[in-house]
Amino acid sequence: MARVFVVDDEPDMVDLLATILKADGFEVDTDTDGRSALARLLAEPPDLVLLDLMMPDLDGMELLKLLRLDPKGSLVPVLVVSARTGHQDQLGTLQLGANAYICKPFSPRELVRQVRQLLAAPQGETSE
Amino acid sequence: MKRGRLQTRIARHIAFAVVVSLVLSALVLVVFRHRSVQRNMEQSARTYASLVSKPLAGLTGYLGSSGRGILDQQVAALRELNQDVTRLEIVDVRGDIVLRSESGTVNVYGNGVDPPTITDGKILRAITRLDSTAVRVTEPDGTHVYRVVAPVVQQWGGHMYSLVGTFSYERVDRQFRSSLWLSALIIVVGLGLTHWVSVTLAGGIMQGVERLRKGAQRLSEGKLDERVFVSSRDEIEELAEVFNAMADELQNTIRRLREANRELETLDQTKADMVANVSHELKTPLTALRGYLELMSDGGLGTIPGEAQRAVMVCRKNVQRLSLRVEELVQLSHLERFTSLDAAREEIALRSLLEGIVETFRPRVEARGIDLTLRLNQALPLLESNGEQIERVFLNILDNAVKFTPAGGTILIIAEPYEHEGRDGVLVRVRDSGVGIPREALVRIFDRFHQVDPSSRRRYGGMGLGLSLVRNIVEAHRGAVWAESEEGVGATFVVWLPIIEKTRREPIAGQPSVRLDSDGADRHGVEEA
Repeated sequence: MARVFVVDDEPDMVDLLATILKADGFEVDTDTDGRSALARLLAEPPDLVLLDLMMPDLDGMELLKLLRLDPKGSLVPVLVVSARTGHQDQLGTLQLGANAYICKPFSPRELVRQVRQLLAAPQGETSE
Repeated sequence: MKRGRLQTRIARHIAFAVVVSLVLSALVLVVFRHRSVQRNMEQSARTYASLVSKPLAGLTGYLGSSGRGILDQQVAALRELNQDVTRLEIVDVRGDIVLRSESGTVNVYGNGVDPPTITDGKILRAITRLDSTAVRVTEPDGTHVYRVVAPVVQQWGGHMYSLVGTFSYERVDRQFRSSLWLSALIIVVGLGLTHWVSVTLAGGIMQGVERLRKGAQRLSEGKLDERVFVSSRDEIEELAEVFNAMADELQNTIRRLREANRELETLDQTKADMVANVSHELKTPLTALRGYLELMSDGGLGTIPGEAQRAVMVCRKNVQRLSLRVEELVQLSHLERFTSLDAAREEIALRSLLEGIVETFRPRVEARGIDLTLRLNQALPLLESNGEQIERVFLNILDNAVKFTPAGGTILIIAEPYEHEGRDGVLVRVRDSGVGIPREALVRIFDRFHQVDPSSRRRYGGMGLGLSLVRNIVEAHRGAVWAESEEGVGATFVVWLPIIEKTRREPIAGQPSVRLDSDGADRHGVEEA
């Protein structure tokens, strides 16, 4: 069973994402703080990370950068979940090493589709 | 050749003035000098004649051959007294010449058979009257001479003679010629001097002008702290002061503009950040709502009673609507910043973009039995624009068309190459069979918050931002958008987008572009596209 790690500072969002993924049969870990999330991610890399961009303290971009710098986190697929819909934002995160991007507000079905697609793709390969 | 032209002009003026005054004064001087020398010569000739007449007449006593030696000696001595004398004649009262001294020889005519006589009437008259006179005469050989008649009246009567002296102007003329040459030489030397002086003077004037020119040039090259210092105490100095004042003003204005611009940039950034935050703040709760509502209606959270199911559907629909409006607001606030095409540009294949949009609308139109058709010309060029924005344009237009087309209606999208106002581009027309738009509203529908019928907000949803967004985006791409409609029959929205920079075709070999009237009236002619 694939293990998905959800990082978002909004408890409601974490809750929603966890509910959707659990309903689809994924094992879910969550964290609402960027720093502790990074530590846990590196300690035990999951199969996929759902990452919010706008977080206090350590935001999504920074977390992604630090994650990719560590050999243990460099290959974990990351799906960015953000309210930013701008082309530049999306391009920026993909350049930082995110594997895919989903804009808020999204449909649960779309989210599940993207998660499955990323997990099916060979490790380290970027999905559209 | 631009440089130094003014200097040459000034120098030429100075030189001209100097040369003219030099020549004039030299001429005047030479002529006056000549006259006075001539008068002097004549004066001394007359004095000489009256002084010499008596002793010379007295020599007639030596006319005998024995006294010739003395006579010749005396005459030569008397002649020495004047440089200009060429001939001396002693003439009796009848006009017969008694003695003539000419070019070193003395001839004496006494009791001769036919002595030479004076023929000149005026001279002869003076001689016969024993008057003194002086005349300027032109000799038969063309030379000018001065002839003086001085009477010799002896106290005791008896012999009455007159002296006729002939004086040459040659010495005077020689002096005149030499002073002419001297003046010419002075003029030539003066000319050279004048040239040097005038160029130097003009250079002095030009120094200030040249500094001003260099200063202005550097200023125009953007060296705003350039100033010019001239201390010529004239208009050029004033001009330099005015120039410096102008440069100060320019520098200040540009500094102020730069500061203002920086402030605006900061404000713009702040605004962009704020929009991003607001959209985040709005979208996150919307996401939670949408997610849970979808999970509920899909039965992911257990079965819900029928009545509640309907309520969940209504919530879902309204959350959906709210999401669209938030997205519109964010887009619009972004767009206000675009006065030109500074958005990220990329190559867009309109074909796949339109096909993608039609696919997203497919479920919605099929649910209402609307026939949605896409007709693409084979030769659609690639556009270089912001793909996200162009997608937004057609999403909004199609959303509008679907909204206003009744169940069972038709929507037709036609895209083809089209030349508009001399520029190549692509024309996309979205024609629906809806309620249409009143003629007077055709232009205003693109205004922000405008809706044809205030009640349509309730009926069809939306804040009237969709078409205003469309216009903003299209105009930012230097394109054109307009609507055509016949009320009750349907409406056609026309978008024209220019091909920017490169003109390239999509891989499929193209047909020639179809030229339409600008009102797009021959819509039947492109059905095969």
